[in-house]
Amino acid sequence: MLDKGEHPHFDHLIDLTKGEINRSIFSDPDIYQRELKQIFARCWLFLGHTSQLPNENDFFTAYMGEDPVIVTRHSDGQIGAFLNMCRHRGNRVCRADSGNQRMFTCPFHGWTFANNGNLKTVPGYKQVYHEKLDMESHGLVPVAQIDTYKGMIFATFDVSAPSLEDYLGDMAWYLDMAIDRRDGGIEFLPGTHKWRINCNWKFPVDNFVGDSYHGPVSHGSAWESGFEGMPRRKKGYGYEGFQINAGGGHGFGARWAENEEQVYEMALPEFLAYEQERFPETHARLGDLRGMHLSPMHCSIFPNFSMLWQSGNMRVWHPRGVSETEGWSWCFVDKKADPDHRDMVRIHDLQRHGTSGTWEQDDVDNWVQSTLSSRGYVGRQFTQNISMGVEHEIEDPTTIHPDMRGRVAGFQNEINQRQLYAQWARMMNGDAPVVPGATA
Amino acid sequence: MKDDINLWFSINQFYTREARYLDDLEFDQWIGLMAPDLRYWMPIVSNRIGRGIGSELTERGHLAHFEDDFESMSNRVKRLATGRAWAETPPGRTNHMVSNVEVTGQDDAGVHVTSKFLIYRSHMETDQEVFSGTRKDVLRSDQETEWKIADRTIILDHAVLTQKSLGIFF
Ligand code: FES
Ligand SMILES: [Fe+2]
Repeated sequence: MLDKGEHPHFDHLIDLTKGEINRSIFSDPDIYQRELKQIFARCWLFLGHTSQLPNENDFFTAYMGEDPVIVTRHSDGQIGAFLNMCRHRGNRVCRADSGNQRMFTCPFHGWTFANNGNLKTVPGYKQVYHEKLDMESHGLVPVAQIDTYKGMIFATFDVSAPSLEDYLGDMAWYLDMAIDRRDGGIEFLPGTHKWRINCNWKFPVDNFVGDSYHGPVSHGSAWESGFEGMPRRKKGYGYEGFQINAGGGHGFGARWAENEEQVYEMALPEFLAYEQERFPETHARLGDLRGMHLSPMHCSIFPNFSMLWQSGNMRVWHPRGVSETEGWSWCFVDKKADPDHRDMVRIHDLQRHGTSGTWEQDDVDNWVQSTLSSRGYVGRQFTQNISMGVEHEIEDPTTIHPDMRGRVAGFQNEINQRQLYAQWARMMNGDAPVVPGATA
Repeated sequence: MKDDINLWFSINQFYTREARYLDDLEFDQWIGLMAPDLRYWMPIVSNRIGRGIGSELTERGHLAHFEDDFESMSNRVKRLATGRAWAETPPGRTNHMVSNVEVTGQDDAGVHVTSKFLIYRSHMETDQEVFSGTRKDVLRSDQETEWKIADRTIILDHAVLTQKSLGIFF
């Protein structure tokens, strides 16, 4: 039995003092099944951005863990999310990836649901069901909680989960550097990269949350053939940068600019003019730390959202079995950005990240290899190493800057991976999700 | 109409040669078939129903799988030659099959050609990938290479790619 508050089952797989984890968490099918329940049915999961639902009755389909959902904007403007599962025999009621519809008619026997989930019509309701079917309790299953943070739509199936605000904690405050740096925020460009990778879902999350170490080796080929992907910086000024952990398993890595001039020095040449245009506004909105010093690069929000700030790229990693993951990747731009800048961000992003990305291809291959090595019995007896800088966290981050929040370490430090797996263990140990209305 | 057979034959030969360059990893030869003002574009396909039918493909200005020009395609080729493009180290083994070649028009831009492709890729031990789709080209006749590809739109059939990345050329 699991004791509430104690973690007898999963803590032994994660050794934070040594920085070692047991490889079976990437290959054990029972652990994977428990992840679907303890992590994907409990956490707030990213579904998409409100700019993907500009009009009444717009919808797109998404996933929460392995559960397919429909995300809709009802005619009253409300955004909702529902299991894409007919309450009769479980068929998918919506087979489109996106569109505009008020009703979803199940292709099997024709039960029809409104885009707020209500069951509207059942063929033969009088003749064959004799009006005995309770229409009210057979609507599409809604998520337990849905909320947005500055346009970012998240939902959870757990009614006992904390609010989105509490779940994101300080990460929301840092997220503003991407989504609230200009008036109007951001929007997603139409189009989603979707692709399958035969890797465990945690490898990409781990890579994005804190692996600033792999760049020169993994991405050497892209870097030297014209696909520069991150700000260059001259040696010898200020800090190199930091890994910042916002708590809850959320973290990111950022370069450090001492002053406005250094912000521009680190900008990719094609983005320089835009950086100069937007800087004063960002600085005024977010202040020195978030609006100037921190130049964030990579990020993950627990459990399966990741971002590349510089490239205008956000993605989720959908679990598809213990050794299969489906990446969904979007390109985002400031709403205020002019058409030229939008073109540059989009092209920069897709030539580096996502399906044909010259950076992504080599990342993907790494995750596949790491997954494979966790399958052998003997290999699994040896731990995965996340010990970099284990005793080198910065004791008082406010000495860097008084506004600094969370736990902080140098730019090359696996603090974020350690905190990711610590959160993983906490969720795996904790209470089961409370899914309202579930009867099975 | 009769003259068309020479045109069609020439384009077929050209595509066969192009496919051989790709399968034999002769990427410098392959990039040599591209016009300097090349547009190389692969939109994203998604599933639509009802009123959405007809808008399955992303448009210009939307996210795409490829949106490249001569310079970036040359850089992609250069990258493969660094010896550190890990996803292609060792290189995959591909067979590019091109068929259903149809000349759909000719204008100032060049000859418009639609074709189908089926590409099989084997990688490492047991990785195998199949890519199927349509290419819409604008070809310009060229002294040196007979044709140059000025514009290529590639429509890959997959909505969720079952391939772990698009590291090959189409
Ligand atoms: S499964 Fe949906 S109506 Fe029967
Ligand atoms: Fe990477």
